[in-house]
Amino acid sequence: MIAVKKRITGFVSLLLMVSMIAACSSNQESGGANENSGGKEDTSSKQEDTSKPVEITWWNFPTYQALDGEVGKYEKQLIEAFNQKHPDIKVNLEMITFDGGPQKLNVAIATNSAPDVIYDAPGRIIDWAKKDLLAPLDDMFTDEDKNDIAPAFWKQSMANEKIYMYPINTAPFMMAVNKTVFEKIGALDLLPLDKPDRTWTFDEYKKALEAVKEKAPDVIPSGFYAKSQAGDQGTRAYLANLGVSRFLNEEGTSVAINTKETGAALDWLVQAQKDGLVVSGSASLAAADVNDLFLQGKLAFSINYSAVLRAQNAPLKQAEFEDVLLPYPTLDGSEPKLEPYLGGMAIFNNDDEAKIAASKTFIDFVANDPEWGKKSLIQTGGLSVRNSVTGLYDDPEYTYSELARKFVTDPPTIADGYAEVRTFWFPELQRALLGSATGEEALNAFATKANDAIAKAKTANTAAK
Amino acid sequence: MDFTFFQKKQHIWRDWIASYLFLLPALAFFSVFVAYPMLKGIYISFFSYTLRDFDFIGLENYQTLFQDATFGKSMWNTLLIVLIAVPVVVIFSLFVAMMIYKKSEGLRSLFRGVFYLPAVSSVVSITVVWASIYHSNYGILNYITSLFGMEPISWLGDTRTALLSIIVVLITTSVGQPIILYVASLGNIPKSYIEAAQMDRANSWQIFKNILWPMLMPTNLYIIVITTINTFQVFAIIQLLTSGGPMYSTSTVMYGVYEQAFMLGNFGIASAMGVILALVIGVISFIQFKYLGSDVEY
Repeated sequence: MIAVKKRITGFVSLLLMVSMIAACSSNQESGGANENSGGKEDTSSKQEDTSKPVEITWWNFPTYQALDGEVGKYEKQLIEAFNQKHPDIKVNLEMITFDGGPQKLNVAIATNSAPDVIYDAPGRIIDWAKKDLLAPLDDMFTDEDKNDIAPAFWKQSMANEKIYMYPINTAPFMMAVNKTVFEKIGALDLLPLDKPDRTWTFDEYKKALEAVKEKAPDVIPSGFYAKSQAGDQGTRAYLANLGVSRFLNEEGTSVAINTKETGAALDWLVQAQKDGLVVSGSASLAAADVNDLFLQGKLAFSINYSAVLRAQNAPLKQAEFEDVLLPYPTLDGSEPKLEPYLGGMAIFNNDDEAKIAASKTFIDFVANDPEWGKKSLIQTGGLSVRNSVTGLYDDPEYTYSELARKFVTDPPTIADGYAEVRTFWFPELQRALLGSATGEEALNAFATKANDAIAKAKTANTAAK
Repeated sequence: MDFTFFQKKQHIWRDWIASYLFLLPALAFFSVFVAYPMLKGIYISFFSYTLRDFDFIGLENYQTLFQDATFGKSMWNTLLIVLIAVPVVVIFSLFVAMMIYKKSEGLRSLFRGVFYLPAVSSVVSITVVWASIYHSNYGILNYITSLFGMEPISWLGDTRTALLSIIVVLITTSVGQPIILYVASLGNIPKSYIEAAQMDRANSWQIFKNILWPMLMPTNLYIIVITTINTFQVFAIIQLLTSGGPMYSTSTVMYGVYEQAFMLGNFGIASAMGVILALVIGVISFIQFKYLGSDVEY
């Protein structure tokens, strides 16, 4: 009897020891992004365990317009449709916000708890790719796919010659105008709406601002902001076009916006604020504050708009008016340079091949399913990155947005150290707006700091390769 | 055989065990949520800890911070906020408490409610209200100043007014609790002391100076230390109102920690900032305890 008890005790002890060792080793395997190099070779044992569903986590910004006013409702429907075709993959959805989401992602990555799939933009995705945190997606594309998408989009979806972002939706960033205000003051002819490409000069733009100031005193002619980083593309594209320059050079290796002309454009902006052509106190306003004024009908021009934002803002309008998209005016009337909004999906390399494979299946469904691919694209309010997919919307602003794609330029968001570069932008704008520096001085100071950050980040990224 | 010694020993041992068992939940909570993160923070501050790297670099983060003009500015702003806000909070709350002190119980409850409301309301909600008050185009503050013929002021967008505007919001969110504490402390001071002073024909100022103030010293110490620590850590108000601008004029060390860690992913630098802030708070709290400590009991 004692011998039997001993055997049972021995067996239970052995079982406990084995389970403890298994638990410990599974902890080690789940080690994270910072210990990637040591953990990657141990993934083969986990591959293709088809006996149970693979569970993946999808973190999503409000990329899709809220369905019935409920954020995340469309995503749930999308997952449900995906599960009808792929019951073996369970997708856990977590909605994050544009305000707190980026910070939450940084913390998740640093604490080895990053999601498997993310729908985001190149600014962050390519930065993660350069830090070796993402799984490459090259095997998801055929040559036919590659030819169907413009090189500019590929440039934004790649790092170290590998594809890390599955590009899906796009729209050029531009300005918007409250057309109703101009109709009311009988100055519609001051807007370049009779021109198919709607391009216009700085002088024409100034006349339009002055008309609003004179004839619609309860409306602020235009907006500007410099409080925080959100919407920074609007400020840099606005100034770059007014000064006929670029934010960064074509290679993305140094700042190019610090020209005499752009400095003068910034000086004009400072004066325009004093003259009442630009909202006062712009140094303390954020992009959202200015767009709120636009949606309330209190602002004639918003400098940070796109077809996507227009669709997303439609339910938020607090006044009845027609909003129309416009390109940024240029000093000499030359073609504007518009930064593209690009949205796409990426996969975090969480050292689990089964999850990576499942994530690819999910992304393929979101982007290419015959029914849900197109439906999802429309739900973003954006255009397709594919040349073969056009005419999704019956709306003149979308038609114009399609046309304005010819003005799209390289975005600076994929430059090395971009995350740090943008932290220097608003303090320098504030310096100019508050009269502590001339436009040119502020832009030069920005260039010095930003070039240093780009060079340092480039060195770090090269060393890490 | 004399068992008294063993019984006494056993008794002490039982008491020791019991006291530590009672302490255990708080100790476990403290260890997991305070001590461990604090030690880990100190540990991380010696590393280049980014989204990609985790390399030991010794004191390099501290060296970087001491050479960084923005960090210096943030530290200066933080100290300035503490130097202005803490005395104002203490004096204002004591003043209000004195006003309430002599009122009837009903009025005292009313004032407690009125002044405690901001303390129990979300800082975010109060800050959003203040953001609309300060709005340069549609804010009520500029409307009021315009009645006196003043030009609109960009309260949060001007380096001359932004920090002061932040301090005002901070004070409104900070005075509730000290007022309640002062009112409670004043209520606990035996009436006989004051009556005796009145019989000796002491005036209000003499009563305050010689009786109330010394007896409030333990409360003063608590309020000053807690308000100082909380003020050093002001974050939400700055994040919501100015994001540290314009031109870093409202940037504080705590906002810098947030910016470095969560926006830029430089956790090593952020931890070093946190360690420096903790040291500064520790030194100032020590000085406060040393010079404001009191053994008054009543």
